[in-house]
Amino acid sequence: MKIVYNWLKDFVDVKATPDELASRLALSGTNIGGIENGPHGAVIDAEVSSNRPDSLGHYGIAREISAIYKLPLKPVTPKPKESTAAKAADAAHVEIQSPELCGRFTARVIRGAKIQPSPQWLKDRLEASGVASINNVVDATNYVMLELGHALHAFDYDKVRDHRIVVRRAKPSEKIRTLDGIERILAPGICVISDGDSSRAVGIGGIMGGAETEISFSTKNILLECAWFEPVAIRRAARALKLHTEASTRFGRGADPEMAELASRRCSELILQLAGGELLSGVVDIYPGKRAPKKILLTRAELLRIMGADVPDKEIESSLSALGFSPVRVDQNRGAEGSLLAAWECTQPSWRADVEREIDLIEEVARIYGLDKFPPRLPAARQGAARLPHYEAEARLRERLIGLGYQEILTIPHVAEDRDALFRPPDVQPARLANPLSEEANVLKSTGIVTMTTALEWNLNRGQRNVRLFEIGRHYRLRGSESIETPILTIGATGQAREKGLYETAREYSFADLKGDIDALGAFAGGSTWNEGGSAWLNPAGRGRIALHNEAIGEAGELTRRVAEQLKLRQEIFLAELQLAPLYSAIREAKESRKYQPLPRFPGVERDFSLLLADGTHFSDVVAAIRALNIQEIANMEAVDLYRGKNVPAGQYSLLVRVTFQSRETTLTEAQLTDFSARIITALEKQLSAHLRST
Amino acid sequence: MTMSTPEEKNKTGLPLVHLGIARPEELAPLFADLRGRFDEECACACDESSWKQFRDTWLGRKSGVLTQITDNWLKPATQELKRVVGQELNQLRAHVESNIEERRKSIEAGADETASARERVDLSLPGVIRPIGSHHLIRQVLQQIEDIFFSIGFSVVEGPEIETPYYNFEALNIPEFHPVRDDMDTFYLDLPKGAPQPLLLRTHTSPMQIRTMEKRQPPVRVIVPGKVYRRDNPDATHSFIFHQVEGLAVDNDITFCDFTGTIEYFVKQFFGPGVKTRFRPSYFPFTEPSVEFDVSCIFCGGSGAAAGGGTCSKCKGSGWIELFGAGMVDPAVYGFVKYDPKKVSGFAFGMGIDRLAMLKYGIDDIQVFFQNDARFLRQFP
Ligand SMILES: [Zn+2]
Repeated sequence: MKIVYNWLKDFVDVKATPDELASRLALSGTNIGGIENGPHGAVIDAEVSSNRPDSLGHYGIAREISAIYKLPLKPVTPKPKESTAAKAADAAHVEIQSPELCGRFTARVIRGAKIQPSPQWLKDRLEASGVASINNVVDATNYVMLELGHALHAFDYDKVRDHRIVVRRAKPSEKIRTLDGIERILAPGICVISDGDSSRAVGIGGIMGGAETEISFSTKNILLECAWFEPVAIRRAARALKLHTEASTRFGRGADPEMAELASRRCSELILQLAGGELLSGVVDIYPGKRAPKKILLTRAELLRIMGADVPDKEIESSLSALGFSPVRVDQNRGAEGSLLAAWECTQPSWRADVEREIDLIEEVARIYGLDKFPPRLPAARQGAARLPHYEAEARLRERLIGLGYQEILTIPHVAEDRDALFRPPDVQPARLANPLSEEANVLKSTGIVTMTTALEWNLNRGQRNVRLFEIGRHYRLRGSESIETPILTIGATGQAREKGLYETAREYSFADLKGDIDALGAFAGGSTWNEGGSAWLNPAGRGRIALHNEAIGEAGELTRRVAEQLKLRQEIFLAELQLAPLYSAIREAKESRKYQPLPRFPGVERDFSLLLADGTHFSDVVAAIRALNIQEIANMEAVDLYRGKNVPAGQYSLLVRVTFQSRETTLTEAQLTDFSARIITALEKQLSAHLRST
Repeated sequence: MTMSTPEEKNKTGLPLVHLGIARPEELAPLFADLRGRFDEECACACDESSWKQFRDTWLGRKSGVLTQITDNWLKPATQELKRVVGQELNQLRAHVESNIEERRKSIEAGADETASARERVDLSLPGVIRPIGSHHLIRQVLQQIEDIFFSIGFSVVEGPEIETPYYNFEALNIPEFHPVRDDMDTFYLDLPKGAPQPLLLRTHTSPMQIRTMEKRQPPVRVIVPGKVYRRDNPDATHSFIFHQVEGLAVDNDITFCDFTGTIEYFVKQFFGPGVKTRFRPSYFPFTEPSVEFDVSCIFCGGSGAAAGGGTCSKCKGSGWIELFGAGMVDPAVYGFVKYDPKKVSGFAFGMGIDRLAMLKYGIDDIQVFFQNDARFLRQFP
């Protein structure tokens, strides 16, 4: 809504400069988008909130100003000269068949008007308001709309069949060509203004008039409509028709039904002034929606309970009076200023449908009094505050991942269906969008992997070759008509694990890096285990499933070349996805059950076994074979070197296994160690056909 | 087939028999070799750390060279050899101990101050650089906000991003066809036919106000960080996904003054004590009174003027920056959660995190948060 500064002066004698005024308006609830100084003076751009249709006209803004500055508001009392011979009631007939859509319909008739261009002063004000000038009669209706905030419509009286208006619901697929020349198809529930026998639509009620009865330069007689339409029906209709007009905005937010007759009178006065002619006496006024004004009580006790600081009686009364609420003290302590028991009975003005309750009056008082007058204070807390249950576990995972060199990312879950399908498990029902912005973003990611690969791709395409990323997020799936959001950790890495530097050589990131890093996370949860298997998008030779206490929580591995090529990822990509809920709870449990282990008092002794093993024999087989010997003194077993190639027969590989022996009771003797070693060698030879390598 | 120990193999690690030494006169060259090796190493011990290592090599109690000689040569030696080994060992020990002590003194006396440029570290060279990751900036800002509110008694809760119209709209006093719904263009899910209710991507974190009050009785003080979605075409200042922190405090004595005090506290913690604040009346269906909350422009210090002349582009010359909407909880909302609006009162706010981060760090394109360019991520470790 563009507010023309000089126009306001028609109603309130404001002295403040446009800048000051805009700032005061902003601080009392009229949001200001900016001020422009044009050829017609200052124009303030007010972004009127949807609950305040009364501010969609200069008069309503002037009322706000009169309340803020405590200035009198000039009344609007148009008294157009009426014909002594003819009555409007004889010249026009109105019937409302759908009072649930149209609560009031007024009609006035002007005969012998001369349609011509508007005078300059009128054109100037319309131009300043951003409205195009058409002709004096149409301009008069627009002018009154901008002045009083109520939309009107002028018909060519002679084109209205039988001079009869019937307001009704649209018939199924009823058609109308509106003023903008577009033929529109209506749906039942839309309010239609029809004429004659009501078979022809001549307007969409509260939204736009029809082309067939519009005012033209040949028009002589005018039927002036000023009505009130039900706001929810208007919003529905405007949305269904995709037709948002100045009229639909005002009626859609709830116009003032009492204003309908006044605006009609004001507009008639203006038309007589601009186009001459004769105004038939009286008005046709069908008003099925008339309601008695509502009484609302405001008490000081409630004001204090909500606002926490007081407002003087005089301020309460002057602001509510200026806004039209006619406050009257009704408590027993009438006359006692500042009484804690003070209560005011207020009357809801017809233009303030948004104010219905005591809390609404409190807001009115507070905003005019000034929100800065309520002193800020920090309230005392009465309860301890709690973090999220997984706060600590999540923080530790995040810090460890960052320490391991991974950068945290946040991705948009909207992805392309085909891309999501690359990683989606076959039995999963994706969460598709009914109204996506584009086909590239038509489904919510059903894995974290899909957006992780996009982030890796973004970096590879921008020369960032060595990237390690993680995301703590969710994936989104459906089960029937139910949504399932699952918290997940996704890891993605590519390029070098270590770049060449002054002291170290370069090394490519490998599956072992990924496994080691995931196990470093699993350590929080008491240790993770790995099993064969994994999704089809993972390379079968380099993938595995991750479990905590035998419960699978995710998978990790190298992206298959097939998928990498589809995504145009031209280097090895490593990916992992873990479910966070079981990980978080395992971390919590492990933390709670962790106990101190007394440090060993006797030295440990290491023995290395250099083994030749057949391909397909795993380190875990070696460990199991040694474990089966049940030697209590074995404190640790680790693989310290692995070698294939020269000096190793085909089909075999060399593995150096280091076993640490340690007793809690005594220092181990050479004889004991020799015995342990011998038993281990025998077991490995027998069970795994291992050969001990000579060095 | 052999078995090996991992210990280093040198002569002092083996008994004399294994070295093939049987006669006393064969011992002198053996000890002479050791003395030569000692002198060589001594010359190289030119700073404190290398000196310590050198000392431990020779005098270490467990596996120093002298201990090894005692254990491996002297103890198992034949009577014939034992006497000579003992003599040689004593001489070696005297030499070793005195020279090691000398060396220490000379290092302490700063003799190595004169070490050649070749031997000195170049401090302008980097150390070993280990790759270290980074926190996402949004995550950092969320954490900071969470910590500030946690410190004044707000618990943290989370909720679903896929919501029902009831929680996202109706229970927040936004019935269907309410004009506010036009400003929150919403993504809906494509559900199978016969679905009991539509599902949507939440347009704000406010549904958690309802879910929290349904579960808890007052006093309630929570913040809700999370992702929200509005169906806007993306550009530098719009993203169809962004992050919000919702706040809610309800008790039997919460007032507007408590509300403004809490918000001011937060802003001064977040932007610094110099920032000025103001509350402008506004409109939201789920708060009454409602406000927009502004802070003095952190780019022009609230003057509205750009440093190089003209008006400040960030606040368009107003000196103020609009931060977020808030207000006292509308009593209608209490009706949906069966709280008694005559007994309780409270406030709620919803702040956009991406915008806060953009303001605080001078970021002019919201899309960088979601592109995850490693070079951007590294800027905010
Ligand atoms: Zn500024």
